[in-house]
Amino acid sequence: MGNSVIVRRLGLLAVLALCVVLLALVPYLPSYYVRVADSILIYIILAVGLNLVVGYAGLLDLGFIAFYAVGAYAYALLASGQFDIHLPFIVVLFIGAAAGAIAGVLLGFPVLKLRGDYLAIVTLSFGEIIRIAINNADELTNGPQGIAGLDRASLFGLPLTSPVHFYWLLLVLTVIVCAGVYYMERSILGKAWRALREDQDVVRGLGINTTTLKLLAFALSAAIGGAGGVIFGAFQRFVSPESFTFQESLLVVLIIIIGGVGNIVGVIAGAVVLVILPEILHFAAQYRLLIYGVVLVTVIVLRPGGLVSPRFNLGFIIRKVRTLWLSPSKT
Amino acid sequence: MFDYFLQQLIFALAIGAIYGLIALGYTMVYGVMRLINFAHGEFFMLGPYIYTFLFSGLLGLGGLAPVLDSAIAIVASFVIVGLLGVAIERFAYRPLRAYGRLAPMLSALGMSIVLQSAVRVTVGPQPVHFPAIVESTPIDALGGMVTTVQLGILAAAVLLMVGLALFVNGTRLGIWIRAASESWTTSSLLGIRVNRAVSLVFFIGPGLGAMAGIMYASYYGIMQPTMGSVIGLKAFTAAILGGIGSIPGAMLGGFLLGAIEVFGTAFLPILSFGYIGTEYRDVFAFAVLILVLLFKPAGLLGETVSEETTVAKKDY
Amino acid sequence: MALALENVSKHFGSLVAIRNLSLSFDVGSIYSIIGPNGAGKSTVVNMIAGSYSVTSGTIRLGATALNRLPKHRIAQLGVSRTYQNLRLFDGMTVLENLEVCFFPQSWLTFLTGAKRLSKAERLDICHACLAEFHLSDVADVLAGDLPYGRQKILELARAFVTQAPIVLLDEPAAGLNHTETKDMAAMIAGLKREDRAIILVEHDMDMVMSISDRIDVLNYGELLCSGTPDLVRTNERVQEAYLGTTEELDDIRKLAQSRRAQGGLRANAGIVRH
Ligand SMILES: Nc1ncnc2c1ncn2[C@@H]1O[C@H](COP(=O)(O)OP(=O)(O)OP(=O)(O)O)[C@@H](O)[C@H]1O
Ligand SMILES: [Mg+2]
Repeated sequence: MGNSVIVRRLGLLAVLALCVVLLALVPYLPSYYVRVADSILIYIILAVGLNLVVGYAGLLDLGFIAFYAVGAYAYALLASGQFDIHLPFIVVLFIGAAAGAIAGVLLGFPVLKLRGDYLAIVTLSFGEIIRIAINNADELTNGPQGIAGLDRASLFGLPLTSPVHFYWLLLVLTVIVCAGVYYMERSILGKAWRALREDQDVVRGLGINTTTLKLLAFALSAAIGGAGGVIFGAFQRFVSPESFTFQESLLVVLIIIIGGVGNIVGVIAGAVVLVILPEILHFAAQYRLLIYGVVLVTVIVLRPGGLVSPRFNLGFIIRKVRTLWLSPSKT
Repeated sequence: MFDYFLQQLIFALAIGAIYGLIALGYTMVYGVMRLINFAHGEFFMLGPYIYTFLFSGLLGLGGLAPVLDSAIAIVASFVIVGLLGVAIERFAYRPLRAYGRLAPMLSALGMSIVLQSAVRVTVGPQPVHFPAIVESTPIDALGGMVTTVQLGILAAAVLLMVGLALFVNGTRLGIWIRAASESWTTSSLLGIRVNRAVSLVFFIGPGLGAMAGIMYASYYGIMQPTMGSVIGLKAFTAAILGGIGSIPGAMLGGFLLGAIEVFGTAFLPILSFGYIGTEYRDVFAFAVLILVLLFKPAGLLGETVSEETTVAKKDY
Repeated sequence: MALALENVSKHFGSLVAIRNLSLSFDVGSIYSIIGPNGAGKSTVVNMIAGSYSVTSGTIRLGATALNRLPKHRIAQLGVSRTYQNLRLFDGMTVLENLEVCFFPQSWLTFLTGAKRLSKAERLDICHACLAEFHLSDVADVLAGDLPYGRQKILELARAFVTQAPIVLLDEPAAGLNHTETKDMAAMIAGLKREDRAIILVEHDMDMVMSISDRIDVLNYGELLCSGTPDLVRTNERVQEAYLGTTEELDDIRKLAQSRRAQGGLRANAGIVRH
């Protein structure tokens, strides 16, 4: 008995250590791999944010990338030569999140009374409107040329210039966002969202203002999208409407579905798969997209509930670790 | 001014008819499956490609008058694209029925990628010439300029719509489709083979989409693998505008969207003193959609879904 | 606190579901609304709860007119309900189904100074409620996985957990077997309290007759008669129109039975998905 506990604890330690070591080793890989890792982390943040709306509250938002665009352009306008405004990165990060949230509420107010698929198409239209508006507001955004030469970001005096720097920043932010969302999921707010997903009329019958509930989900997820956009802007140091097409919104939704709706672990898995897959498929040149599509349909048809089972979630992992560590005899 | 208006009107009707035909596919599929078939725009794109392939093949064989070749190719494209639709439903959507609304929708997205890239891989990404079906000759009508192609599109689209209306309202199969859209469970309890109704919808919808594609390509004289994306989105907008699930709604929505777009873009720069230009054409369509939904959340002809109706449905 | 319907009518297009109905309910009693199928009983419940709009007339809770308020406001004022067909949150646990009821009604509590329950207090109340309704053993089971009878009880618990002064129960015994119905009747009778009005819509006559303080009989949307169980049982008009001949009484019995059978069917209906 005693021996097996020690073995299991060691095993657990080994798994945790392996994760940490792997994450710590990424910066020593060639720059290309670090960039891919950065990209994965950004998509994890976006998908976890969107998951609040799609996975928890059950509202299909197909225009999420608009909030990402709002954040990216916030950085482009407030930290570049465009208007010769040069705010520090951290300030813009908060402005971007706030701008995203405001855009979310502005969109949410009129459309949240729409049901299901109508919401999907209206958010989709909203995303397109934002993109086309950016494309055409030449005086403000330079239109299709985009804005180049954004400021080099720095955080608390540390420079944020190489992919490795961003890797660390994104890693920290990913952990913060995941932890925050996990906490929210378990709070009464998260429960109300899940109830909303199941039966909106009954939720109202319990004395809950469903509009506020939906707006909250919308605003929070839009804030995360906005913050993600600011980082994207600072990372690329160039923004153009090209980066914010409908396809990008879809990619984020796909990440959520492929991974497993409403499950943070699933979202992480989905982001890893869907960001790496096109990279691997580079060898296939022109057939790349075709293979990508075939793989996508096959995965959905074979595992409609997502790659990660809903039971294998963050809560499950935390419980497992905790019981194994604190009271191993129970397991 | 008047002839300009007339010209724009004919243009609006032609493009509206095309939107309407595509919107029918969205709306019928949504009616029976509650699924946004994101792959539908690709059927629109496949139409002209398959037509061209068949037409040049038949022409190469010789022996028939080109008009006949063309007619055969048109009918065959309808059937082929329709069968493709049936197959896709069978293998990519049907297994997902028990898994809510998201999974089938994403499968549809995946199918859209597959179809589009398959065409791109086989014929290349660049736009190619589409052989004219009708010689485009301008006709002087009421002082405005109208082309034979525009009139042809309008006539063909109206014919197809009337045909569909007769089929859906007057035949046994059509009634199956309507019953299945009304209530899946009740229909199956009444012995309607709902799966057949679904297959039928997935034959007709994509077939009509392909016809719309052929019309569109003959209007502009070219086709390219990405042509289905934006048009598909707009046609879907038209379906929502008219009230998704409603067949007359889709037709109305199509014509309305065509009119809004054409007149909006034509007159907006004048009305806004040149400040808002034609580049906002796409924004315009979406903005109108949002406005309509705000005041009529179910679309123009859609069935309103309020709590009163859902409560009663859950009770019985 | 008293709930009053004043000259309330409800039209669905040309169908008049409720015509000039006036009723009042006070805390401290159990009221039953009975009537044949389609009489308008559920419509009354839905109008009070705010699910249906009122065509004309007023519904008042104390001095507040309810029928102009949004539905969640009505619930916040103390009207809770069950549904004729189960509407639980199937994907959530039994405990969570109750917990949701304690979602803060306003995010401005720190401004208004209203008291907000802590998580521990919330859980205490919910666990106490589960114990009261004999559901403690299934606290962590998904609501959708419970047997039908216990789902009905859970829905009952959800209506009572917030101690709402007005509780509307739409056919709590539908689909239950004989013993379960008896238990349900005893349970509801035990829930009668000085500060609570229970309004019960039910087809099971034994249950209605045994636990009600007043019975209102609806027929084609109109009030046929209203009074104590004994009065209703002996009332001529009711006898004529509803309980009158033994033949018809049998019919009602049969109806109640077929309802039970139907309820059983409905419980499984969720499996048929598309
Ligand atoms: N949302 C609605 N739309 C149209 N008609 C409705 C609606 N809700 C109820 N009705 C009609 O109003 C009448 C009263 O219905 P109600 O549901 O109140 O009956 P009930 O007394 O509860 O009957 P049951 O015992 O069958 O539950 C019925 O004729 C019903 O068809
Ligand atoms: Mg009823």
